[in-house]
Amino acid sequence: MSEYKIRKGKEIAFTISITILTFLGILPLFHIIATVFVNGLPVITKESFTFLTGTFSNGGIGPAIAGTFILIFLSSLIGLPVALLVGVYAYEYPNSIIGKATETLLQIMLEFPTILVGVFAMSIIAIPMGTYSAFAGAFALAIILMPYVAVYTQEAMRQIPFTYREASFGLGLSRIKVIFRILVPLSKRGILTGVLIGMAKVAGETAPLLFTIGGLYESYPVSVTKPVGAVPLLIYTLVQSPSKGNHRMAWGASLILLLIFLLIFIPIRVSLKEVKL
Amino acid sequence: MNKYAIETKDLKIYYGRKEIIKGINLRIPKHTIFAIMGPSGCGKSTLLRAFNRLLELNKDARIEGEVLVFGKNIYAHNVNPINVRREIGMVFQYPNPFPHLTIYDNVALGLKLNNLVKNKDEMNKRVRWALEKASLWEEVKDRLWRYPACLSGGQKQRLVIARTLALKPKILLMDEPTANIDPVGTRNIEKLLFELKKDYTIVLVTHKPAQAARTSDYVGFLYLGKIIEVGQTKNVFKKPKNELTKKYVTGILV
Amino acid sequence: MFRFFTLFTGGRKMKPCFNKIFKSVRRIDTFQIITLPAVIFVFLLFVLMLFVYFYNALPAFIREGLAVYFKNIWQASEEPGKEYYGLIAAIWGTVYTSMIAILIALPISIAYSVFVIDYVPKKLKNIFIIVSDMMAGLPTIIYGIWGVFALVPFLQKYIMTPLYKNLSFIPIFSYPPVTGYSYFSAGVLLGIMVTPFASAVIREAYQMIPFTYREAAISLGLTRYEATKILLGYIKPAIFSGMILAFGRAVGETVAVSLIIGNTFNLSPSLFAPGYTISSLIANQFGNAYIYRHMLPVLYAGGLSLFIIGLIVNIVGLYLLRRWQENVRI
Repeated sequence: MSEYKIRKGKEIAFTISITILTFLGILPLFHIIATVFVNGLPVITKESFTFLTGTFSNGGIGPAIAGTFILIFLSSLIGLPVALLVGVYAYEYPNSIIGKATETLLQIMLEFPTILVGVFAMSIIAIPMGTYSAFAGAFALAIILMPYVAVYTQEAMRQIPFTYREASFGLGLSRIKVIFRILVPLSKRGILTGVLIGMAKVAGETAPLLFTIGGLYESYPVSVTKPVGAVPLLIYTLVQSPSKGNHRMAWGASLILLLIFLLIFIPIRVSLKEVKL
Repeated sequence: MNKYAIETKDLKIYYGRKEIIKGINLRIPKHTIFAIMGPSGCGKSTLLRAFNRLLELNKDARIEGEVLVFGKNIYAHNVNPINVRREIGMVFQYPNPFPHLTIYDNVALGLKLNNLVKNKDEMNKRVRWALEKASLWEEVKDRLWRYPACLSGGQKQRLVIARTLALKPKILLMDEPTANIDPVGTRNIEKLLFELKKDYTIVLVTHKPAQAARTSDYVGFLYLGKIIEVGQTKNVFKKPKNELTKKYVTGILV
Repeated sequence: MFRFFTLFTGGRKMKPCFNKIFKSVRRIDTFQIITLPAVIFVFLLFVLMLFVYFYNALPAFIREGLAVYFKNIWQASEEPGKEYYGLIAAIWGTVYTSMIAILIALPISIAYSVFVIDYVPKKLKNIFIIVSDMMAGLPTIIYGIWGVFALVPFLQKYIMTPLYKNLSFIPIFSYPPVTGYSYFSAGVLLGIMVTPFASAVIREAYQMIPFTYREAAISLGLTRYEATKILLGYIKPAIFSGMILAFGRAVGETVAVSLIIGNTFNLSPSLFAPGYTISSLIANQFGNAYIYRHMLPVLYAGGLSLFIIGLIVNIVGLYLLRRWQENVRI
């Protein structure tokens, strides 16, 4: 075989393997979505109202959904202000030692094992309080939420053309006013994206909730200092039980969780060019 | 005495180790249009930003010498740059009204954040006054609540001028204000400058000698960090004393 | 006041010093007063976290020293004197499954990056990227439930059992895949989960290769395959860094892994054996650890090791990536 044919052969083999590997990498997502729909849809459509609002013994996951929303809300309350301040600091002082250290710390926290955050929250909040609580869970989630929002804030503000900075300072304003009254509002779209992505991520987290919220599925939560349930945690518990009925509930809950995730994630992702993982 | 709006005394500007402006002594008379012209990249914009202490936004920049505004050195250590910038307004090369604010809010911004007006009424009056002074009121009075995106380049730049005028500065610094605007818009702005000259001192940086010739009373030719020649515009252009000036003005030196 | 000083200190020399002090005092503006506390708070929180783990693990260190990381034994007992714990099985499981994960992630993330940038028409490119980002953000419990009910049965039936039947003389295939919960399944699921993270890093690096290098490769008459090989060599540090970051992710994953690894104390090199990872151990045992006096500190010790592994891996990965980016930017 001529050398050219060998090279050509390698080229074709390469193209084929690249294609196959890529699709191997992409395929699981579609299979997962399909599986969740196939298994979850019958459960939800059977008696959707009861499923979405009823308590567990009535075949519903209402308290879990309520719990998830409470946790998202509470963790945002705790985490967003800190995230904004940290992100703005990292934007304004990118070259100082503290600024660089902050950026590094944020990157580390983005990937940090969430189980460790959960156990930490348990140690310093649930144990002293003597009880599982929504607050402990929200605290853990806030720690996980914070780096996402901070990094998105920093990136969004970095996109602002320098001329707007000049114009703002040129009006004779102090740094604090320039940043918080002009530049932050100017980048609110990017910041909002970060907030939504952070919330989507936090809504789906399980490990931080294992030892902080306790679980509450027979009644609706009424207090943040008492145990609460959440959809991911419920799924985790149900999957481990031997009962087939529980497994069905788990699929139904998974579908709800998947829908929440897709509903937040897709619109954001489509309207944005790049996403920090 | 206070004859001059701006006076520099042996002003030197460094970026890191590089000397950009090499010892300049300028005297800019009040209520004139003073043009600074020269080839691109020789420090005109840098020099301009030394006048309102906007240069400090760049951490590598360093200044030696004095800049006297109405007789007072703005680089003295008890001077707050923020106050300096309220007295001196700036218009930039790219029309940069804040895109996320309405036309009204753009003009009102400086007033609001500097707490310069007490109530809504006064605010409305000031905004209208600023827009009228910038020759923009007639064109936007019915769409104050719309965003700057609906304006042409020339209108955006006049909006920026209005934004600056609202603070009632005494000096206006213009950094190549018509560089990115079509000829008609440019003409409008140049006409506006003649009007504004009565109440303000204007320092105009431009890389088009023709613009300096058209609009200014005095002109300084900045080349490689030094003022080569300065004087009344008609003299500098008709009878340039320096060879370099002659070359620049006739278009050989670009 | 100033003049008073200059009389004593020789005037001119003091002026620059005063200037510096004035400037640094003025530099602490209200902006810093508001934002710096938040930054300090975050740093302190992180340090507190490390401290909490260390403090709670201390009893284990006092009782058994560092041997707690190297023994393979898990004997819980109501009598404190008879409790013996060792984490080596969990550490082994963590490392083993994560290695499997990046062995899977490596070829796929590279192939994906090359495919998306070189082969896909522009209009479809964004779709591929969105899919990858979705996989990165998908709640891990969904990966878990899919793993339990779809992936594991599939792997057990079509890959593990045939391999065991025919190749069990090879040590890594020697464990009977009864349920399918094993290092292998966990590794495969982790691989699927962390590939998008590696892909993001590699894809961005591959995209950033200056066009002149591509032109040069093609002008030399190379086939696409050969040109790609060269370009990939150019971004090797980024690939390496992407793998390290993926490893860090895999190491920390808890829920999905704990559902399919089998949660058994094993120290086996066999792929099909069930095992433990540090994170799944914590998830599994923490709940009932209160009953036993000495288990809790050991679990914290495990957490501490995970903390440190995660920290080191992330710092190294980020450092390499940054250094490469700085050296290579043109």
